[in-house]
Amino acid sequence: MNTTDEHLVKLKGVGDSLWLSVDATRSLEALQNAIIPAFERLGQLAVNARVIIDSSPSEECDQVIETLGPFLKERFRVKEVSKPPADKKTVSKARIRHQDVGNAWHHYRSEALVIAGRVRSGQKIEAKKHLVIMGDLNPGAEAVAGGDILILGTLSGKAQAGKPDNETAIIMALQFRPTQVQIGGIVAAGISSGESGAPEIACVENQAIVVCDYLKDNPFKRLTWPEVR
Amino acid sequence: MEGKVIVMTSGKGGVGKTTVTASVGAALALQGKRVAIVDMDIGLRNLDVVMGLENRIVFNVVDLIQGRCKLKQAAIKDRRIDNLFLIPASQSDDKDVIKPENMVWLTNKLRKEYDFTLLDCPAGIEHGFKNSIAAADEAIVICTPDVSAVRDADRVIGLLYARSITPKLVVNRISPKMVENGDMLSHDDIVDVLSIDLVGLVEMDDQVVVSSNTGVPLVTNRESKAGMAFQRIAMRLNGQPDLPIENPMVQRGFWRTIGKKLGRRNKDAK
Repeated sequence: MNTTDEHLVKLKGVGDSLWLSVDATRSLEALQNAIIPAFERLGQLAVNARVIIDSSPSEECDQVIETLGPFLKERFRVKEVSKPPADKKTVSKARIRHQDVGNAWHHYRSEALVIAGRVRSGQKIEAKKHLVIMGDLNPGAEAVAGGDILILGTLSGKAQAGKPDNETAIIMALQFRPTQVQIGGIVAAGISSGESGAPEIACVENQAIVVCDYLKDNPFKRLTWPEVR
Repeated sequence: MEGKVIVMTSGKGGVGKTTVTASVGAALALQGKRVAIVDMDIGLRNLDVVMGLENRIVFNVVDLIQGRCKLKQAAIKDRRIDNLFLIPASQSDDKDVIKPENMVWLTNKLRKEYDFTLLDCPAGIEHGFKNSIAAADEAIVICTPDVSAVRDADRVIGLLYARSITPKLVVNRISPKMVENGDMLSHDDIVDVLSIDLVGLVEMDDQVVVSSNTGVPLVTNRESKAGMAFQRIAMRLNGQPDLPIENPMVQRGFWRTIGKKLGRRNKDAK
């Protein structure tokens, strides 16, 4: 095999196919002569293989396949000869947004840990992402989550949301009386909510944790689209 | 029928475990049951003093477990109440000499002899606590209306549930006046946090100190509010679980009550 033949064709394995790059400006005979030694080296591996032909002026690809395809099938018993797959289409952002709004939650696999019952002093609940506790978190107990913490009961222990650095996380409780709350890296100690009795939510605003009435000042009311958290 | 083994625990020290154990034990014995009280606080025994039996101790629970004496030798009979026995703790041994499996052996022995065995658990959740709950059928958690006591009781309740023991709650040392003024947690607040069945409310009572120092059982004193509360706790444990729980109230004269009501009405009118 001479050096010019080396430049005519290039053969490599890609996925479950053989990727054959050819210089379509050269004559059919020259190409065939260059292909034969490359495929002979493969031996049995070429049998039933899928071959993708990529010609260097890509416009001539169809023509090259038409001529080289039957030759390869006959001589080396390959299964099929095809064009390189088309590039992935770029989907417009507006369309993604539309899809998200349309059916995002239908296909969304839950990453929330849902716990029912009372978390007592000395117990610690850790969740990779969101944490929902249907019950109370007693003084001395701890809840730690990578995402949000929702407590459908009284929060009187320690809650750490958005661990380690997610400052968009929130902590919500029907009765909000924590000994300490942490969101991301921000800590607030002993929030005295003054027995409002209404559900309250804690989130980060201007690098500080603020607690507000969930029904009156729900921060998610401002969102234009429903979002998956 | 085999007897019951009940552990009296609290987590926090100084909430009245020893007093409650001695008093409830005495009350059960007065109701005709055979009762053994075991002091599990190895190295820091004081149940013998509270029961006034400190000068009769020959053998203790460690001797019994290590086979140096028989059950009848270690169980000291009370001076006043016939069916009441104390198995004292050792004052000189280290607390590690008893293991949970020893307790299972001991309680199996005690169940055959006594209708009720009360274990006075030491404070904390370490070795002594683990030994005490290893062989218990039931548990009573004693809590005072303090935030710290509630938190410790909560921890202990979690540990008891982990061992499949459903605890019951006694709230000790309630001062009705302070509760009314909002200076003390009410028993409702405590039950709200701990969420276990309440078995008794015991009022703060100066007679407890007198009784502990003299070794005279509190439950024999009909003047003592705490003594009567312990009697009722014993009745609830002894086959009357539905006996209503009396809420300690501030005693008020007729005219004062009327005056207060009128005063409140005036306030509302403003």
